[in-house]
Amino acid sequence: MYKKILIIFITLAVIVSMGVAGSGCKSAVTTEKADTATQEAASGAKGEVTLRMLMEDIPATHAVEALLPEFTAATGIKVEFEIVQYMDMHQKLVTNFMSPTGQYDVIEVDNYWAGEFPATGWIIPLDDYIKRDNFDVSVYIPAMLDMVGYFPRTGNNKQIYMLPIYSYSMGLLYREDLINDTELQETYKALYNEDLKVPETLEEYVQQCRFMQENAGVSGSAMQGGRGDPIVMEWSNYLFALGGDYYDENWNVTINDEKAIKAVELYKENIQYGSPEGALSFALDDALRIMSQGKAYSMISYIIMLPLLTDPEQSTVADSTRMIPMPGELGLAGGWGWAIAANSQYKDESWEFIKWVESAEIAKKRALNDSTPARIDVCEDADVIAKYPIYPTMLKVISKSKPIPEFLYSAEMVEIVGRELSLICSGEKTAQEGLDLAAKELEELAVKAKLK
Amino acid sequence: MKTLAQQKKRTGLFFISPTVLILILVVLVPLIFSFVISFFNYTLVDPSFDRFILFKNYSTIFQDTYLWNSLKITLIFVFTVVPLEFVLGFFIALLLNRNIRFKGLFYTILTIPMVMSPVAVGLIWKMFLHADLGIVNYIFSVFNLPSVNWLGSNKIALLTIILVDIWHQISFMILILLAGLKSLPKEPFESAKIDGASNTQSFFYITLGLMRPVISVAILIRVIFSFKTYDLVYTMTRGGPGVSTELISYFIYKKTFMGMDFSQATAISYVLFVIIMVIVIFLFREMSGRKWD
Repeated sequence: MYKKILIIFITLAVIVSMGVAGSGCKSAVTTEKADTATQEAASGAKGEVTLRMLMEDIPATHAVEALLPEFTAATGIKVEFEIVQYMDMHQKLVTNFMSPTGQYDVIEVDNYWAGEFPATGWIIPLDDYIKRDNFDVSVYIPAMLDMVGYFPRTGNNKQIYMLPIYSYSMGLLYREDLINDTELQETYKALYNEDLKVPETLEEYVQQCRFMQENAGVSGSAMQGGRGDPIVMEWSNYLFALGGDYYDENWNVTINDEKAIKAVELYKENIQYGSPEGALSFALDDALRIMSQGKAYSMISYIIMLPLLTDPEQSTVADSTRMIPMPGELGLAGGWGWAIAANSQYKDESWEFIKWVESAEIAKKRALNDSTPARIDVCEDADVIAKYPIYPTMLKVISKSKPIPEFLYSAEMVEIVGRELSLICSGEKTAQEGLDLAAKELEELAVKAKLK
Repeated sequence: MKTLAQQKKRTGLFFISPTVLILILVVLVPLIFSFVISFFNYTLVDPSFDRFILFKNYSTIFQDTYLWNSLKITLIFVFTVVPLEFVLGFFIALLLNRNIRFKGLFYTILTIPMVMSPVAVGLIWKMFLHADLGIVNYIFSVFNLPSVNWLGSNKIALLTIILVDIWHQISFMILILLAGLKSLPKEPFESAKIDGASNTQSFFYITLGLMRPVISVAILIRVIFSFKTYDLVYTMTRGGPGVSTELISYFIYKKTFMGMDFSQATAISYVLFVIIMVIVIFLFREMSGRKWD
């Protein structure tokens, strides 16, 4: 009797699961219809619309959050932020996109995902909205619009999927007081027969870090060598500084060429001789604590860290911290963009929000509240510069940087490269072995993404 | 004519059927659905059942050297934390089973780690174990001990994760074992005492024997849960340095949300499922004293 019941239940379960599986094939078709229906219903009751957004827990988010009552007063549309740590965002967003009707309407897109989300159709092009409302996109820093605006980044088929929010390009933060220390200058001259000055090349920078670690009583560089995106972001600066890249313009892998090998060797040297003991486990916050407490000479980090490190309330070295673009050719560009989820019920209302938050007036208000601007007019605004004299420096850093390759599998590429870099730096592989395996897997990703 | 026993059975089945149905829907259906997925090329980018590839996902994952590494690390992790938690937990439970002062205070303190979320535990310990600014290395320096690179060394990081997991999970073991000790009958111990048995003899010949079912359950639960450990790795090391702390659950997470490959992720999950089942059945048989046929 029990066996029979069990068999019936299992059979039913198999049938139900196959049914669910089958419905997955049709979801793309039915979603569109459902969207249209729900959108029509929504537009009829605009006053009751609530937009939901997943946002990163950083000052730029809180700058927008403070202004939300103005948006609701102007449009009647409510906005709810779900504020989380960066590391939780991708997983939450991907899960959300798999649902026919998602819970997030406006999407905050990191440039890591700027290839993945449009390629999968999880976000929609904004060109029609931009054209309809004559929204001026020429106000944006061109490098930002290229990075978190267009997809594909080049070619005749490119469309605007995102509007830039802010940049987090990376550059070199260093301690001017240590560079200007006469005793250190004399010792450096005696050791290397060179002047101790702001570094102009990557090799010079790595040499200085080792020197500072051995002679200045501080770590040379507050490095973020933790596996995953921390080590990849930092190392990309080394790679780009030497003129290297992950792929060439035809998506041929270049990550195991001479420049990349040299970039890894210099990075490993700095981990070994110029960084704090636990650097191989550090993420941004760990490294930042070292730098802000005056325990390091330098830090390759994001421009958004500059306001924090030059704030006497948050940094013991506020007076002497300076920032320059990455020594060498280029640094790593990073940034965020606003997009509209393809499975949102409120696409029109989402565009209303993006248009409002990126208007000159609101962008300026955000900039005056710790949110680095992506619009040139805001960067050059006299009031903004008066409050944040560092913004012109930031513009220089942004203009001398480039992003990692943006394509469907950027997140997986970061994971692969991060794993191999971590293995190399912990001494389990040579630079050549690690990068050769990374190159093989990156080649497979390019093929899987149908780029070659 | 139905007997009373048959009628009772039918009534019982009627009342438990909603629960069974819900369990099937939330447990069995996803299990079967994911099993079906593992034979297709079903990805987050293309969530469809267009390509049936039979065992290709399974053959692919077994060629991945990093998967074998994850399995090895997971086995080391499980078979280190569970015995240590059991021995320490049993020891503390025995201490708490005596008439001591401030018992309530000890219970409260011991329960705190168990009610904390693993993510919070990971983040707190990550700060404590910061190689340069953490309180643990500071205490070491006070006693002139060398600082330890807790999370940044590929030789120590796994041990660190093991220690934090023990700190977090040992209270579960203590409470279950303590509940078992409290429920033991007093008569066998009194008889043993009259017969001249020492405390050690009572422990080995009576306590352990009577506690066997409780010990089995506690160990089985901890084995199953420690195979699924994910949060500590996610918050503290992300599998690094290198691949030294890449437990299988984190490996599956990466396949799913970074590789966006549901099929391979479910294939690995089923391999893990089979491994856990084999170990659990083996442990259950051994610990419950049943003989293999």
